[in-house]
Amino acid sequence: MIRVAFKILLHDTAKYLALVMGIAFATLLISQQSAIFHSVMESSVRDIIDVTEADIWVMKPSVETVDQPDQMAELTVNRVRSTAGVEWAVAYYQAVAQLRTSTGQTKSVSLIGVDDSSLVGAPPTMLLGSLSDLRRPDAVIMDAAGFASIFPGTAPRTGDIVEIGQRRAEIVGISHTGPSWTGLPRVHTRRSLAVEFARETLNPVTYVLARSARGGSPEEVASVITQNTGLLAHSRAGFKARSQEWVLNYSGVAENFGITILMGVVIGVAIVGQTFYMFSVENLRQFAALKAIGVSNGRILGMISSQALFVSVVGYCLGIGVASLFFAVFSPQLTGGLRGMFMDPVIFVGTGVFIVFVTLLSCVISVRRVLTVDPAVVFRS
Amino acid sequence: MHGVVCHQVAIEFSTGAGPIRVLKGVDFEAPAGQLTMLVGPSGCGKTTLISIIAGLLRGATGSVRVFGEEVTKLSGADLVPFRLANIGFIFQQYNLLSGLNAAENAAIPLVASGMPWPAALRRAGTLLSKLGLDQHLDKLPRQLSGGQQQRVAIARALVHEPRLLLCDEPTAALDGKSGQAVMGLLRELAVHPDRTAIVVTHDPRVYTYADRVAHMEDGLLTKVEDGTSAAHAGAH
Repeated sequence: MIRVAFKILLHDTAKYLALVMGIAFATLLISQQSAIFHSVMESSVRDIIDVTEADIWVMKPSVETVDQPDQMAELTVNRVRSTAGVEWAVAYYQAVAQLRTSTGQTKSVSLIGVDDSSLVGAPPTMLLGSLSDLRRPDAVIMDAAGFASIFPGTAPRTGDIVEIGQRRAEIVGISHTGPSWTGLPRVHTRRSLAVEFARETLNPVTYVLARSARGGSPEEVASVITQNTGLLAHSRAGFKARSQEWVLNYSGVAENFGITILMGVVIGVAIVGQTFYMFSVENLRQFAALKAIGVSNGRILGMISSQALFVSVVGYCLGIGVASLFFAVFSPQLTGGLRGMFMDPVIFVGTGVFIVFVTLLSCVISVRRVLTVDPAVVFRS
Repeated sequence: MHGVVCHQVAIEFSTGAGPIRVLKGVDFEAPAGQLTMLVGPSGCGKTTLISIIAGLLRGATGSVRVFGEEVTKLSGADLVPFRLANIGFIFQQYNLLSGLNAAENAAIPLVASGMPWPAALRRAGTLLSKLGLDQHLDKLPRQLSGGQQQRVAIARALVHEPRLLLCDEPTAALDGKSGQAVMGLLRELAVHPDRTAIVVTHDPRVYTYADRVAHMEDGLLTKVEDGTSAAHAGAH
């Protein structure tokens, strides 16, 4: 009888398309907005994501999110190094500094000072130049999007001389990274140079990046560091979660995206539910005829469920296809706010499960009319 | 052998103006191997009676036996397979599934009984050919005339060889010529020693196809006569 169900469904082309389009639209809205929300949340912890070598971040207890560091003395690095379970620890520095071009244009930049000797904390992807160029005097690496905002209309290149904190700096490399929460150009340099650019009188660090010894759990080692030093230590995942929690609590981003995603859900449920209901009601007489002939309610439920499952899968594939195309076009771009945005597999699968669930729920609601229809209605003209 | 035996069948419906007794104790018999017509004015209870016989309408008092099975005693769950196995329906409005072609529509009772589609379509096609529709097997209902649609409905009603055939005003939506043709085919294919056919109609022109004509009026069976007599009486 599944074949009969599909014939009934596909015969009414207009309603079939309305159902599929409704589901596709809901899928697109939910998956795309969820993915952008997820990507925005990832951008709020860009520094943590980009530093792949360290699995522990050590900071002052007052720090709530990665973009609001508090300075510590350089000596702190040694205290972390001496903690049991730590394989290595290096200094990391973050600040906002003023950059001036040769034409006099100024711009705030996010300054990141990586470990002078190991270069731990350097950008993971280089478009031009190499990380080792950072060892050259006055060397900085700028991200492509930042370069485009400082030198509009200029293709990414190395060799430009700029001033940062009234000190000479040479762009020796161009990196590629996703957008950050602040949106400022990201300038990586050695920490010793970064504190000069930031015109620090002392030699501070903002974070100590550490690696747990082989076999040790980052969470457990971080806990030991916290106990021994009086500082706050988090595993990489833990600090990411803490920073994102702060963003969720104070930025309003969750509410904004939540409303859009909720709208997608409501619109999707409304369109799918109403169209499916109308579809079922308009075919009521046909279903009543089947019931009169001797087709059981269970088989009719199976027929309508297979119709719902089919349209939900087709609509989902269409919607997720358009959403994927969106990210395929925008994600690889070097500049623009959508660069680096992506759809997490959990969103890909989760949206599918949700859409199928909602469609089947709509089907159950609409099928009640079909299941309770008096088959004797077929005797009425 | 009596295919259908109804004894003192009564039913009432609740309305805003109070209960209405639609059937008031009907005694009705439809022998196997014959075509019995149930006739009478609109609202006399004909369709209600066949709905009760089919097990589509419940809550009636009295006894309804279909080939020995007491229909009023069957549960809702038991009635579904009972109808599928034993009853064929022909409706006034055909009630064909709009997305299925003629052969697929006719094959539905077989498929619902578990027969694979290819075998069901072959059997439905053979029956439709007997009904003169061999050139129209692939056509959708909207591509067929009213008479052709009703012939598809006849095929659907008979394809699984039911023991009871219930027809509700099968010619009401057809012109006179098509109606006569449909009744001729129905008579030819439906009447079988092991089958009872009951046709509800108020068209006296088709009484001639009946073996027996049972007259109903105001919820009661008033008269039973043979088809020829009824046709003569109807003509005058």
